[in-house]
Amino acid sequence: MNDMSIVERKLTQDEIKISARGVQVYYGDKHAIKDVNVDILDKTVTAFIGPSGCGKSTFLRCINRMNDTIDAARVDGKILLDGEDIYDKRVDPVQLRAKVGMVFQKPNPFPKSIYDNVAYGPRIHGLARTRGELDEIVEKSLRGAALWNEVKDRLQEAGTGLSGGQQQRLCIARAVATQPEVLLMDEPCSALDPIATSQVEELIDQLRQDFSVVIVTHSMQQAARVSQKTAFFHLGNLVEYGATDDIFTRPQDPRTESYISGRIG
Amino acid sequence: MTDTTSGVVPESAGEPAMKSLLIADARTRRRNAAETRFRAYGIIAIGLAIAALFWLLSTILADGSSAFRQTYATIPVSIDASVVDPKGNRNPEEMRKVLTLSYEKLLTTGLKDYIAKENLQIEGLSDRDLKGFLSDQAKANLRASVLNDPELIGQVVTVPALTSSRIDGYFKGRVTAEQAARDSKTSPAQLALADALKSRDVLETRFNMGFLTNADASETRPESAGLGVAILGSAYMMLIVLVLALPIGVAASIYLEEFAPKNRLTDVIEVNIANLAAVPSIVYGILGLAVFINFVGLPRSAPIVGGLVLTLMTLPTIIIATRAALKAVPPSIRDAALGVGASRMQTVFHHVLPLAMPGILTGTIIGLAHALGETAPLLLIGMVAFVQDYPDAPPAGLFDPASALPVQIYNWTRRADPAFFERAAGAIIVLLVFLLIMNLAAIWLRRRFERRW
Amino acid sequence: MPVSWIILLVLVLAATAYVLGRRRALEGANGDPRRLHSRPVYYGWNAALSALVPAVLMLVVTRLALGSSNLGALLVLAAAIAGVIFALSRTTPDFRARNMVEQVVKAGLILCSSVAIATTLGIILSLVFESAQFFRMYPWQDFLFGTEWTPAFGGGSKLGMLPLLWGTLYISLIALLVAVPIGLFAAIYMSEYAGPRVRAWVKPAIEILAGIPTIVYGLFALVTVGPLLRDWIAAPTGLGDSGSSVMTAGIVMGIMLIPFVSSLSDDIINAVPQSLRDGSLGLGSTPSETIRNVVLPAALPGIVGAILLAASRAIGETMIVVLGAGAMARISGNPFEAMTTITVKIVGQLTGDNDFASPETLVAFALGLTLFVITLALNIFALYIVRKYREQYE
Repeated sequence: MNDMSIVERKLTQDEIKISARGVQVYYGDKHAIKDVNVDILDKTVTAFIGPSGCGKSTFLRCINRMNDTIDAARVDGKILLDGEDIYDKRVDPVQLRAKVGMVFQKPNPFPKSIYDNVAYGPRIHGLARTRGELDEIVEKSLRGAALWNEVKDRLQEAGTGLSGGQQQRLCIARAVATQPEVLLMDEPCSALDPIATSQVEELIDQLRQDFSVVIVTHSMQQAARVSQKTAFFHLGNLVEYGATDDIFTRPQDPRTESYISGRIG
Repeated sequence: MTDTTSGVVPESAGEPAMKSLLIADARTRRRNAAETRFRAYGIIAIGLAIAALFWLLSTILADGSSAFRQTYATIPVSIDASVVDPKGNRNPEEMRKVLTLSYEKLLTTGLKDYIAKENLQIEGLSDRDLKGFLSDQAKANLRASVLNDPELIGQVVTVPALTSSRIDGYFKGRVTAEQAARDSKTSPAQLALADALKSRDVLETRFNMGFLTNADASETRPESAGLGVAILGSAYMMLIVLVLALPIGVAASIYLEEFAPKNRLTDVIEVNIANLAAVPSIVYGILGLAVFINFVGLPRSAPIVGGLVLTLMTLPTIIIATRAALKAVPPSIRDAALGVGASRMQTVFHHVLPLAMPGILTGTIIGLAHALGETAPLLLIGMVAFVQDYPDAPPAGLFDPASALPVQIYNWTRRADPAFFERAAGAIIVLLVFLLIMNLAAIWLRRRFERRW
Repeated sequence: MPVSWIILLVLVLAATAYVLGRRRALEGANGDPRRLHSRPVYYGWNAALSALVPAVLMLVVTRLALGSSNLGALLVLAAAIAGVIFALSRTTPDFRARNMVEQVVKAGLILCSSVAIATTLGIILSLVFESAQFFRMYPWQDFLFGTEWTPAFGGGSKLGMLPLLWGTLYISLIALLVAVPIGLFAAIYMSEYAGPRVRAWVKPAIEILAGIPTIVYGLFALVTVGPLLRDWIAAPTGLGDSGSSVMTAGIVMGIMLIPFVSSLSDDIINAVPQSLRDGSLGLGSTPSETIRNVVLPAALPGIVGAILLAASRAIGETMIVVLGAGAMARISGNPFEAMTTITVKIVGQLTGDNDFASPETLVAFALGLTLFVITLALNIFALYIVRKYREQYE
């Protein structure tokens, strides 16, 4: 299989936020990501699609070095964030993750109050000088996650008491509160019902104004609805990357075409 | 939780967005230092725990290993017929009337003769020193062997005789010449004699089988005290625990896991078992005293009572382990057996139980190991009594007084002579070896029959 | 006739019944086992059990009613024979022998399960019964609230429990102060930081501490730790001159409890879902911040339960305090003084020659009852907390 089979397309406007060069990931003996090169744009929603086990989540976790927490994982290659290699020895993953936030597949609010959930990041990173500033960040983040109106009267109640969709928006608010530049989302709607899903999708569209959003999804419809750019992964390879419309209407690689038309995956 | 991160007022706040990732800011450096400290606490905690383990084991080994060696004197002793058989008719009944004291004379004479023959000059060596040089047990042993074999009378025998615990302690570093000068029970002359005999290879410190086989000995002769009765008593109790606790525990677990309806009674039994597992062991001792001894009227100090108490104490452990093992057998196996028309009972006994057996045995061995080391309840049912006779073979022997390994250890720690401390530590080594063997057996079982469904 | 002979005879009868029952069933089916309801062995077992069960019941009844007598023996044998005849008369090919046998086996299983209840009842009854006798001789107020413990076998004893309770709690507190930080940090390190190879060595090593009998710890306290503390700390600072002390027993008991705290905490920390850790790390927490701010608060109820279980262990521990704490009943704040505990006094009052009519002996049962109630309450509460905690993440 030709590893360099990405179909080059002309990139539109915007500046490049993240650029990956020759990224390889190994889990023990397993070669999970094979030589991925990709440029992710700022103020854009980029969707990673592909059949399960294709490496899309693994690659997403490389971008904020969450793979560091897995002993057997090894990452080669370069990932540049604003031109700086995040795998450089001098980079502290803690600082990196403050800049590159992450939202997970299953809503995972901490067993604390709603307020403390959102305030968690600002507290550990020291983003607020006073209690008032912290209140402000919490409110702004909850508003940003379209949750403020629903929870403003019960900020001291447990975050785990919210509904699934609310929990996931709380997790988004929590990620937004650390003022990241990139927001990674790993199948954020897979545990949600259709109504909650549409709320979160709407939210993702709004988040695009402030962040570079990368979303992993196994729903092609969702990718089509929320993203401007789409990358198709297959068996650890990045097969095709381009504008979402082009990927879905005029796929150039036969594997992409098979996946989109439902023959594989 | 106090730490630098939960403060609302950080010093280096603001503009986090524009900083380079390659330069760690002051706050991050501080946080990473806190991280390093936190990890260090964990390593220190583990280090302390393991250091405590080594400290414990090494002191026990250092104190106890000498109990397995004992000093013997091998001197020629002539068995004077006029002393041991004053009537000269070799009548065993008559000879039995000759007390150990007379044999002491024989041994002392033997020692004196040897000193004269070798022309040893030892300053201040009194008759009393010579008497105290050998153990009372050596005299009793000599008497026993003469009574056993009257042919020895009139001959010169050269048998290894136990030396007293002070002489033994001198070679083990427990007794020094300075101490001997101050101690009324030992004199420097005795130690000088010991050195002289040692240099002529008459005194020998060698492996002490008696420590494992002898019965307990009185306060004055620690050199002959052994673990024989205690090991036998412990073995009897373990036998009872195994014979009772294993079947009862397995039967109870099978009922609770496979047949019991989900109702209040079952809940009560389950909570009950969980709580029984945490009842202090001494309470089981009170139970044994009140029920088995005072109410039923079983004899004190008997392995049967100890065994019953330990059985009740071990049951919860075995039930908990057995239920876990039964639970680990996948339901598909039960379904398969039921599907071909086996009854519930047949399913359990033909399929589930054999598959759960390794887990059950592992749990049982661990329960037994616990029971073997248990001391407190046995103190209350009278197993601290001083027992010098070996119990008979089971089943009658189960009702004879006996000791138990951990109780024997406790007993020896209560005695004044420091020689008993060495014995206690030595007995701990024996106990730990038994426990080690049992645990290794459990590990072996688990490895050998480990199943992945 | 001695019991062993009766039992032997009954067993022979049962074996005969087995053969007869099996044969009779097969004869009824003209030698074709397929025409029987159950397999032939079940008819045999049915007949054998029909001999054994009535015989055993009758043996118990006659023993209780008549003691050892020939009449009793005859009644036992008669019951066994009657059982066999009844069983054989019912042995026809349609008889559901397997169901009968399984019913009996199930009854046996239930009987075995009830041993646990019987044990609890036995404990409670023996404690309550003997304690009641004690409280008839000695006022309960003086026992519960008395501050003086001076048993005198001539009479006029003061048997106040408070000094013993104080010693028990003081020693347990020190033990927990040793065991909880060490056990908890060890568990945190092993579950959150250590790689599989380190865990494979360290975890069993710490668990060895749990397998060592308490008498070994007791000797360790008596011979090693006690003199060490006395010669290096207590004597130089003038705090005490006794090797046996609250500190000695507390430290050694703490060492004993380390594996208890660490393995319970390890289980509880591992039950915290990984997604919470990911969530915190993904926000840029360091691992230690994640542990302190997310994992530990989430695990807190479970850890509290584990500490309560450890406390109950410490309160009920006997051999370490018997050998390490001393026998002086006193209420004092100085941890380098010898004090004593409830368990030490139970052992003290109940070993040796006992007079079960004197309050000095019977007080041990009241102490036992106190100990049982305290530890039971702690256990029930702790098990309840731990169970609630587990349900939260299931």
